[in-house]
Amino acid sequence: MAHFRLDLGPRRAERDVDAELAFHLDMRVQRLVERGMDPVAARAEALRQFGDWDGVRAELVAIDTQREKTVRRANYFAELRQDTSYAVRALSHNLGFALVVVLSLAVGIGANTTIFTLIDALLLRPLPVPAPDELVVIGDPGRTGGVSEGSLRTDLFSYPVYAELSRQPPLLRGLAATGRLRRLDLTDESPPDSATLGRSVLGSSAGSTGVDEADHPRGRLVSGNYFAVLGVPTLIGRPLTVEDDRVANGSPVTVISYNYWQRRFAGDHGVLGRTVTINRVPFTIVGVTPPGFTGEVVGRMTDLWLPLTMAPALSNRDWLTKPEVSWLLLLGRRAPGTTLAQVQAAYQPLVRRTLVASNPADDGAAERLAKEEIPVASGARGLSSLRALYAGPLATLMVAVGLVLLVVCANVANLLLARGAARAREVGVRMALGAGRVRLLRQLLTESLILGGLGGAVGLLLALWGSQALLKLAGGGQGAVPLDAGIDWRVLGFTLVVTGVTAVLFGLLPAVRTTSVEPGATLRAGGRGATGSRLGRPGGFGLGKVLVVLQVALSLTLLVGTGMLVRSTRALVSVDPGLARDRLLIVTVDAAPTGLEDERLAQLVRIQLERLRAIPGVAAATFSENGIFSGTESMTGVDVEGFTARSADDSTVNYDRVGPGYVEAIGARLVAGRDLTERDDARAPGVALVNTTMAAHYFPHGDAVGHRLTADSATYEIVGIVADTKDHQVRQEPSPRMYLPAYQTGPLPLQLNFELRAAGDPVQLVAAARRELTGANGQVVVLNNDPLATLMQQSISQDLLVARVATVFGLLALGLAALGLYGVMMYTTLRRTGEFGVRMALGADGARVRGMVLREAMTLVAGGTLVGVPLALAATRLLRSQLFGVETVDPPSLAVALGVLVVSAAVAGYLPAARAARVGPIEALRAE
Amino acid sequence: MDDLDANLLRGTLDLLILKALSWGPRHGYAVVEWIGQATDTAFLIGEGTLYPALHRLERRGWITAEWGVSDNNRQAKYYRLARTGRARLQAGSSAWHRFVEVAGRALSTTAPVPS
Repeated sequence: MAHFRLDLGPRRAERDVDAELAFHLDMRVQRLVERGMDPVAARAEALRQFGDWDGVRAELVAIDTQREKTVRRANYFAELRQDTSYAVRALSHNLGFALVVVLSLAVGIGANTTIFTLIDALLLRPLPVPAPDELVVIGDPGRTGGVSEGSLRTDLFSYPVYAELSRQPPLLRGLAATGRLRRLDLTDESPPDSATLGRSVLGSSAGSTGVDEADHPRGRLVSGNYFAVLGVPTLIGRPLTVEDDRVANGSPVTVISYNYWQRRFAGDHGVLGRTVTINRVPFTIVGVTPPGFTGEVVGRMTDLWLPLTMAPALSNRDWLTKPEVSWLLLLGRRAPGTTLAQVQAAYQPLVRRTLVASNPADDGAAERLAKEEIPVASGARGLSSLRALYAGPLATLMVAVGLVLLVVCANVANLLLARGAARAREVGVRMALGAGRVRLLRQLLTESLILGGLGGAVGLLLALWGSQALLKLAGGGQGAVPLDAGIDWRVLGFTLVVTGVTAVLFGLLPAVRTTSVEPGATLRAGGRGATGSRLGRPGGFGLGKVLVVLQVALSLTLLVGTGMLVRSTRALVSVDPGLARDRLLIVTVDAAPTGLEDERLAQLVRIQLERLRAIPGVAAATFSENGIFSGTESMTGVDVEGFTARSADDSTVNYDRVGPGYVEAIGARLVAGRDLTERDDARAPGVALVNTTMAAHYFPHGDAVGHRLTADSATYEIVGIVADTKDHQVRQEPSPRMYLPAYQTGPLPLQLNFELRAAGDPVQLVAAARRELTGANGQVVVLNNDPLATLMQQSISQDLLVARVATVFGLLALGLAALGLYGVMMYTTLRRTGEFGVRMALGADGARVRGMVLREAMTLVAGGTLVGVPLALAATRLLRSQLFGVETVDPPSLAVALGVLVVSAAVAGYLPAARAARVGPIEALRAE
Repeated sequence: MDDLDANLLRGTLDLLILKALSWGPRHGYAVVEWIGQATDTAFLIGEGTLYPALHRLERRGWITAEWGVSDNNRQAKYYRLARTGRARLQAGSSAWHRFVEVAGRALSTTAPVPS
């Protein structure tokens, strides 16, 4: 009994118990003394009779504490029920008000939830697999689409390195590998009504529509143990297994995702055992993954998985044997009881050793790799190339929507204030009748919470739509970004917290203000006078004005930031890449369906070039392997004659394999030497072009032309220097780059990019270019045809996205601020109707009264600007990393934002001012 | 007192307390005194048992308490029978009488009942 939680009980229970027991004891002593006992002895006797004093006392306190708790809880719920029904009644009496508030809140909360949904999906959510925390990724998880030929790398690995590491991976329960697949063409040749071998009896052929149409599923090459390591079973059929890893090109099977199964095969159980043709190779569908699993790459929902060993069949690159072809990311699952740190410590040296051993030809490898960190990190959130790209923009947008929500809060608070003023009489009466202030506060806050809850619910719906719309916008016209952005408990929790905080933010101040009424005053003044005296006095309604100033300041901040982002994208769009930006058309073709190889393929390319050059309006044409602004890059280690590398960076350069007349055709500038020509073919001595950065790095004395360099065990003589260009990114800093003749660097790739320089608008050439390219060989497939300007625009789509979305939010905040200003001015004008009427009667003309009101509105705007400009200057510093060609303090953006704000404020202020000027004496008298 | 009787006593004590309050509010000491007199101190219920019982009844809502002034002009905690407590007293008393009657008859039988 003695260890009841006495300490937690309120003191009151103890005091009461002590008083009660003391009374009891005194009564007993008194009775004993009356019977003739000595007082001291009587006290001792009374205590003895009582028994275990402390124990009983503790028990009583415990019982009472518990009772009080129960009573309090019951009271609380009763009051809550009362408050809720009261609030619902009050709101339903004022539906218009409730609607405006709920919609404003829905927009604010919805915008926040939208951005958070994307942040959650891209940055926070773990993979939907069992125990995702056990996953470990080796390599750079951002390089999901990477392929590198040349020196050994630490961010991507070759198949031989993977094969060696996965044999007996220490501390891991298995090590899987995943690699990219280029564009796939899938056709389903089995006729829909013929019974395919292995079709299940449940299968219905009616579901598979459009079977002959090629589509382009997103595929991933994975090791046989991929599904086992991730712990993902199949819904129907079997997963890939290690049996599929045995022989190169020996296992033409595929597992498809639930989404793809539904989309392409209408959920037909007959797909198992069906043969589909993927890039000319027949594959058998052996399994379907469960719904919800979209692969290990976040932001690129995978449709189908193919065994790694099928890579050679899908392209003519040597994927499986060459240690210098790096294209795999490794995904392992930690064995029970091992920590990430242990895995990191073990794999750093192990991977390094394996890398060095894999390529004995690369003699500098050991020294170079010793200095490089091998990325080993948690794989719980999967792999993603979008993370690095969008983390900054999403953070920016999160701040922006946070500001929007604050503006919304200020607006709603203002509305509540006005409503509170209208209810002053009611509140006064209730307080006079004995309602406690705390109770009234709670009632008003309950109302806020209900409004907030409704706003949050509608906001959640808006976010569902908004996040999809944003993904579509981010896709830049090429379909939505395939990010699995749904509502999960994290998003729900976020919305709940935001809603709660919002409700308190917008509800607390007005509630405090509304209940700070002197009951007597309201009643004496008959209701109207009280509101008037409190809100109409000079400088009165102060809180509302402060809120307007705050709104103006916040929207100014948003507008300035928006202006800077917009100007930054302008700068990005108009950047000079050192290429014929507005003249180039880039056409990507796939020659794989022709079945041509080596010399016959080279012959086809020569014919295609000739035909392209003959098109009227084509000034020049060439081709390259990686293309321009395609996102595909090649790197290699070089050994430059007479140059000793000081670090790993020193010997790594970007390069591309290009066609004859490349420099001239793409509109770059030749600084020294000559361009590549038709004669630089496989029989001629190796030649290379280098850019000015590379020339300056290796030949500081300006004598690059004529020197030799070695790359991938072939030697090239530098014959020309090209001025630096921006080949893949607008923000790209110049880096060492060289151009090697495609004919001199092994067999031509099956996918090539043709670059056409137009005399006029490059879009005009599309039809002719397609005709000539396929005219040379009917089997050639044109994959893409885009003007360079379009590709460049796509490369900055995340910047455009942020600028566009920020513009929407900026204007939204501006609109809300203007609305707030209008509301407050209208309110004060109405309150001062009498005053204006008197002034007019005494001879003030309309213009004068109008000026008075407008001046007051502009004072508020000036106040907001005073707060807003420093706020904007502080806030836009956060944008620094995302800006291009715009300083952190940007006077034009500031000026435009101020201009827009002042004009909007003038409009918002003019309406109440005009109304004030129309007040007639009769109306004024009536108002009194 | 045997274990067997502990529950019996607890129930009985509750009834006695309710009975003590059935004539109007009393403080704890008065309840103790009344039970002592009414039972001729046959039960020997100490304050250590009685006060917790009082507080438990209050927690159950059968009696309510408030501070008042005693005959000798002191602050004392007065217990009053609540409506539920009065109902409980009536139900409990009749149940008790039935129990005593039935148990008494059973205990005084002299021959086993034929089955």
